[in-house]
Amino acid sequence: MKYNKIIILSIIGLAFASCDTEEFLNPLPDTAVVADAYFTTDASLLAGIMGIYDAAQGVNENTTTSITNSNRGVQFEYLFTEHRSDNTRSATLEGSKADFHRYLVDPNNVQSEDYYESMYQIIFRANNVLNFIGVANPGNQAKYAAEAKFLRAFAYFNLVRLFGDVPLVTEVVGALDNEKLFTRVPSAQIYQQIESDLKEAIDNLDNTHKSRASKAAAQGLLAKVYLTQDNRNYPGAAQLCQDIISSAKFALQANFRDVFYKELNPEILFAIQYIAGNTQESQSFSSEFTSLFRQGREDGLNIVNANLISDFTKFGGNRTAVSYVTFGTSNEVAKFLPEGSNITTSPPTYGPNARNAGNDWIVLRYADVLLMHAEALLAGGAETTNAAAIDSYMKVKARAGFNPVTDRPAVLTKEALLVERRVELAFENQRFFDLVRFGVADAVLKAHAAEMGYGSYDARKLLLPIPAREINLSKGLLTQNPGY
Amino acid sequence: MKQKLIYYRKMTLLFLTAFSLMVVSSCEKYFEFELPEANSKTDTVLPKADFSFAPDAKDFQTIIFKNLSFESTKYLWDFGGGKTSASQDPAFTFPGEGTYKVTLTSSDANGASNSITKDVRVVDLFVPLAPAILNGDFEAGAANWSFSSFTGGTTSPFNTSGDGSWLKYDGADNGAKTKGAKWTKETSAGAYKSSNTRYAYQAIVVSPNRKYILEYEYAIKTEAEQAGIAPGGNRIIGGILDGHFADGAEAISSYDKAPLLNHVGTKVLGKTVFTTVKGEFTANASGKVGILIYGVTDVDAYLDNVKVYPKK
Repeated sequence: MKYNKIIILSIIGLAFASCDTEEFLNPLPDTAVVADAYFTTDASLLAGIMGIYDAAQGVNENTTTSITNSNRGVQFEYLFTEHRSDNTRSATLEGSKADFHRYLVDPNNVQSEDYYESMYQIIFRANNVLNFIGVANPGNQAKYAAEAKFLRAFAYFNLVRLFGDVPLVTEVVGALDNEKLFTRVPSAQIYQQIESDLKEAIDNLDNTHKSRASKAAAQGLLAKVYLTQDNRNYPGAAQLCQDIISSAKFALQANFRDVFYKELNPEILFAIQYIAGNTQESQSFSSEFTSLFRQGREDGLNIVNANLISDFTKFGGNRTAVSYVTFGTSNEVAKFLPEGSNITTSPPTYGPNARNAGNDWIVLRYADVLLMHAEALLAGGAETTNAAAIDSYMKVKARAGFNPVTDRPAVLTKEALLVERRVELAFENQRFFDLVRFGVADAVLKAHAAEMGYGSYDARKLLLPIPAREINLSKGLLTQNPGY
Repeated sequence: MKQKLIYYRKMTLLFLTAFSLMVVSSCEKYFEFELPEANSKTDTVLPKADFSFAPDAKDFQTIIFKNLSFESTKYLWDFGGGKTSASQDPAFTFPGEGTYKVTLTSSDANGASNSITKDVRVVDLFVPLAPAILNGDFEAGAANWSFSSFTGGTTSPFNTSGDGSWLKYDGADNGAKTKGAKWTKETSAGAYKSSNTRYAYQAIVVSPNRKYILEYEYAIKTEAEQAGIAPGGNRIIGGILDGHFADGAEAISSYDKAPLLNHVGTKVLGKTVFTTVKGEFTANASGKVGILIYGVTDVDAYLDNVKVYPKK
């Protein structure tokens, strides 16, 4: 009996000792990283940089299904940028993934929260690497810093376009430094940070890699930043695109299909890599884009809208057959079919391991740069006769099978450029941002929502809600976007 | 006894009912006022009005408002001039360019409200196309000024000449003559119209339905320099065709019927003393128009520095 008492007492004591009340009562927010003593050598810092790419890559949903244990990186991005545009929708109305195309996202939406966390994972890992940049070999320091800053700019550019004003953290901060972690900073200031980070990347990187940051990728991303920020810089964007074109290091693939099925081909400026069959390095979106013969966890995502199909019919050329496939009444994305797929047989086959697909995620490719070049020369106008702008536009159109002479317009209009981007870059997470950048998002999506019967749409839905969990952790510092 | 008891019960029931009814009716007021007091919290999160706005893509005068208010359910927009709206995200068409004060009052169901007034600038930001005129200074001779075919005529547009304007294309003084275009009696239209009549033509693209200026310089030799006056006077005629034309004959017939601009220049000031013409025209719905210039003259007449630009 007495013995028992001792055991009970010691167990209670143990419980107290193991429970650090400070940490228990103040859980670490997702947007913080604990600096540790890992970084001591050049090699460990390089591993740290790979860790930033890992945050962008995310963890396959099929590897860890728990939504709280892993972030998905860019693997959910299509939900915010394709589903929330007039391009695609979910096959069913079940689950929070089906909220995006109907503009029903609320602050508790797990995918939106996951993306917010993923982007801040990139930012905090980058800040951490920058904090320890001194341990790298002196010859590598500028290069490593530039690489980390490129990725930080990439994450902030995604955040500011989807969530509006967000907290700006550019150094390693403590978990309790709420002012820094939760104070929303005006987007103009965030764009300044993005610009300075990308300029540093341009100055210190070369074009060695495609799956890692490069000079051209930074130039292309900065061009898009210049075309997007409130205070547009059209001459700056035109110059950056011209620099990429003049470098002659990139070229359009003759066959449109090769863009997607020859990894890191000459058209790619920057892609996030995945490895097929590897649970740690594969992605789930390829399987989620199937529906009638579904391979994914859901009933089918990124299902192509009739509205986009009609644009494909008119402007798609030979891109149409590569971009999507029709099974019965189901129109499905075909740009990212898993390894070993054969959609010409009936029923189609999707290879041995569709859920652990290895298709890279293309962030930036040369056709996008050419169309941005035309956009920069159009300079916000409704139309242009500028020959260089029409040349760049026609290079993309000619690859799609249009005649470079007879199909060449005398005047390039904003509408023609927007629809060209739509069919060239369909399902590549560009459409939503294009609509916003061209200043037609509200008009186009209002009409689209009316056509599809999505009654919840209003102009405030162009920004996603700040995740409720972040607001709760902020103790009243973080404010919500209007309309949520 | 039993009868009495039943009566007693009935009476009690009656009284009870009447009493409880009385209680309920007399307490109605009391309850009504007490309920909100008990356990109800004051609303400390009050409405905050805010909005943004952007012009409609098709009509700059129509402004689309985006309501960015918090904690509000009712909205009142005041666009000035007695025009209001109660919808959440209204669109309003202002009478014209200018700066207008727009007030949004957002209120909640408790009647708390908040207002914000912003200056809404309505301005036409449309930038019309500036068409590129090829070889507008004639330094490259007759290049870019010919019809591709001409039924019953010649595609040769004019005689090239070294007696153009002293001004360069950008308006700067060259200090000497530049190259120009020339018409003579043999290449004239009007009373001298023949298969050798020459017309300068160039197809251009402008913004549909917008106002543009056609500008050029011309000079006609004086009587002292060369004798002869064509029927109707020596003149250089310049204007804008409604459309693009492959065949010159079709173009001339269209021009004679319905030109978008027709200017007849009759100032006779002498060789290399140029007169500048600025003619205004409104583009057609397609934006495809053509420049047409020709001469009707007994004496040598010259043309230089042809420009088309949007009217400011």
